[in-house]
Amino acid sequence: MDPPHEDPRVNGDHGNNSRHVPKKPKLSSFITVSDIQEEFAHHQQGVARINNGSFGSCPASVIAAQRRWQLRFLQQPDDFFFNHLQNGIILSRTLIKNLINADFVEEVSMVDNATTASAIVLQHIGRGFAEGRFQKGDVVVMLHCAFQAVKKSIEAYVTRAGGSVIEVQLPFPINSNDEIIAEFRKGLVKGKANGRKVRLAIIDHITSMPCVVIPVGELVKICREEGVDHVFVDAAHAIGSVHVDVKEIGADFYVSNLHKWFFCPPSVAFLYCRKTHISSNLHHPVVSNEYGNGLAIESAWIGTRDYSSQLIVPSVLDFVNRFEGGIEGIRKRNHDAVVEMGKMLAKAWETNLGSPPDMCPGMIMVGLPASLGILSDFDALKLRTHLRDHFSVEVPIHYQAPKDGEVGATDVYGCITGYARISHQVYNTVDDYLKFRDAINQLVHGGFTCQMLPGK
Amino acid sequence: MAFHHHRRHRYLELDENGDTNNDNHHNHVPNKKPEVSSLISDAELRSEFAHNDQTVARINNGSFGSCPASIIAAQHQWQLRFLRQPDAFYYNDLKPSILRTRTVIKDLINADDVDEISIVDNATTAVAIVLQQTSRAFFEGKFRKGDAAVMLHYAYGAVKKSIEAYVSRAGGHVIEVKMPFPVNSNDEIITEFRKALERGKSKGRKVRLAVIDHITSMPSVVIPVKELVKICRDEGVDQIFVDAAHAIGAIKVDMKDIGADFYTSNLHKWFFCPPSVAFLYCRKSDKQPDLHHPVVSHEYGNGLAMESAWIGTRDYSAQLVVPEVMEFVNRFEGGIDGIRKRNHDKVVEMGEMLVKSWGTNLGSTPDMCSSMVMVGMPACLGISSDSDALNLRTHLRDCFGVEVPIYYRAPKEGEVNPITGYARISHQVYNRIDDYHKFRDAVNNLVNDGLTWDAVNNLVNDIVHISRIETL
Repeated sequence: MDPPHEDPRVNGDHGNNSRHVPKKPKLSSFITVSDIQEEFAHHQQGVARINNGSFGSCPASVIAAQRRWQLRFLQQPDDFFFNHLQNGIILSRTLIKNLINADFVEEVSMVDNATTASAIVLQHIGRGFAEGRFQKGDVVVMLHCAFQAVKKSIEAYVTRAGGSVIEVQLPFPINSNDEIIAEFRKGLVKGKANGRKVRLAIIDHITSMPCVVIPVGELVKICREEGVDHVFVDAAHAIGSVHVDVKEIGADFYVSNLHKWFFCPPSVAFLYCRKTHISSNLHHPVVSNEYGNGLAIESAWIGTRDYSSQLIVPSVLDFVNRFEGGIEGIRKRNHDAVVEMGKMLAKAWETNLGSPPDMCPGMIMVGLPASLGILSDFDALKLRTHLRDHFSVEVPIHYQAPKDGEVGATDVYGCITGYARISHQVYNTVDDYLKFRDAINQLVHGGFTCQMLPGK
Repeated sequence: MAFHHHRRHRYLELDENGDTNNDNHHNHVPNKKPEVSSLISDAELRSEFAHNDQTVARINNGSFGSCPASIIAAQHQWQLRFLRQPDAFYYNDLKPSILRTRTVIKDLINADDVDEISIVDNATTAVAIVLQQTSRAFFEGKFRKGDAAVMLHYAYGAVKKSIEAYVSRAGGHVIEVKMPFPVNSNDEIITEFRKALERGKSKGRKVRLAVIDHITSMPSVVIPVKELVKICRDEGVDQIFVDAAHAIGAIKVDMKDIGADFYTSNLHKWFFCPPSVAFLYCRKSDKQPDLHHPVVSHEYGNGLAMESAWIGTRDYSAQLVVPEVMEFVNRFEGGIDGIRKRNHDKVVEMGEMLVKSWGTNLGSTPDMCSSMVMVGMPACLGISSDSDALNLRTHLRDCFGVEVPIYYRAPKEGEVNPITGYARISHQVYNRIDDYHKFRDAVNNLVNDGLTWDAVNNLVNDIVHISRIETL
């Protein structure tokens, strides 16, 4: 039952994927610039798409492979369910296990996204409180700039069940890992005060807004020294943008989205759970007849739905291996390009970068001219909308409130309170960033401020 | 589904400008029934389901549903819109599009308020939402340990596991309603249900939740939910949750008429949506609702419908094609009502044809059937366990090209030559009489060859490792 419309250049998802070995191609068959354009021709033309970080991107050949999986289900869903689905998911899990240097495929579960993984881990911690294994008031430590969904998840599952929360403030702009480590230690001390136990530390590998690479290896080590029960690394952005080695990092739980920087279609993530007695008590919140068979098996069947984005991993590996250096090459070049573009913008606007280059992945925070008058989160969102609607530039803006008594970064006009998070992915060109540069220059020269934009 | 072989758009269905075709596609009125002349023709119907494997007698629409080609194409357009400019899609298009779907559903099922309608992946997810609420009530002391939850013995496997995970684990006591099968009248079900409620209320317990199927899965029977809901109200049951996974598109669905607190149905089974999408109806009440989607996003606290409409980055396209599906069903005479009536009549006719050919019986009276009917398998096949039933199903698929789920019914003491296997046959618009003849002949083949199931079992067990006994 071979899928129709087979493209000979694309890895067909043949019935038996068990022999798939992603191979790095010889020099002569690397993907060309024109190939890349074709792969991303479905992106809206005329938009400077410098926000890969939010929703990721997916090449056309992978979408085509996904469609073939979807069609196979539609053709004969019972046969697909009984004979192909589980093998396909195990193959994806095995490829991920190898990619992230996990020991056992049982440690790797596929879920929709990091938001789902957070619900899984936090439900588990929440039960510890609800069932009396943890004392009311025991602590969960997280970073102040943790993703909003994670914060809400903590509220829903931990605070509600009697746990308390400590937020670690990270300085921004930031200059070195030491600043992060110092604040984190302070947070743990607070957490352990009054005889409490720190039941969970949630640490971003790459924070979202503002975007900075966190020294997770060091922080996990500190957690172990300080007797933290569990460590959960929220690495939503990590795979495909920084080096990921789960054994080296040493966390209990580690999640990353594959649709952000790893070219998968929306949406799919892996949740790594270190094989200890704890991991057998983790459950997917959507309970199916697989309940009790281990998280990976539970996650592989949560009722009838479209699992094609979980099955697509082999095709994605074929795609990345068309690039020189594979995924390693891609992420290094993305990093170098985004730093170069960030510096170009900061120079053009006479502003600053939010962190040193070695603390950036494929994204970087670039200070926006103070004259723009970004004075709130809402201003930042309005400016983002204005850039989209009037300049065809897609880029998220972060509002950094100046700290009391501190001046923070400044330019000739005053405090820099707005930072753009620019991304670089394989489809980006220099023109995207020049377009952004010119848009801001135009706004500045026209005397624009955010107060001019409608809305309260 | 043709590919455009334009050089710059080799893989995807885009026009020359890289635009999708359907930017203006969604300004339409979904509920108009067409004039007779624009009804779907046989040829169009065949074309809509041409992607179904034509070598298979696909008489199991109940498990995974089906989706016409024009809906798949519409779904692809939605997917491309996201991929094209995901930020603009997220900020400008997603929420209003989900609201449009919720509004269509509200009208379809006679709910009062669109706030009562949330869109989720499937009934399994809806069950987790309702039961997590029950779990919290036990843990937070609102319910006493030992208070009861009542469910049908034939409740779907995932629902039973969910009750174990969220109710038993939190200290609730679970009571199963015994159900007769074969079943001859609603009274048999009502009697058993009353008995179970009595058990639930014994020892000073409160019945906090009743989970009632509208159409059970295996064996498949239509349950008199309206009467059971009324009994629950009379008996002071706190909350009533109707698991109607199969209902929409297979029987009449009227929220105000049924009167439950929660009601869920899958749209991808009998309502032509792609996998997967379901609605969860939550009746508006004076009590502050404590329902939350288990996957918590920044929308937490904004109401279940809002929470469900954003559970992180994912493909929401299956939730967005409901207006297009209304257009599709309205190409049939009588719309969705016409479709389900004809499906019912046809599947009963086919069921009666089969029992006549095999000398067996139906599992229930026709009025207790939806678009599915349980057909007794010849006793000489010797189906004597769940795994026998599954192996027979596999054998029918692999050797006869027939896809149909088989239910094992344990014989009661004293029964002579009992029928222990029932096939659940479905009828959907793409089915033909040949599908059922193929099934009839396959079984007659097996009977005439004198095959008992033991012999085939050994053959099948060598070939296939069965790990999954659940039928959807």
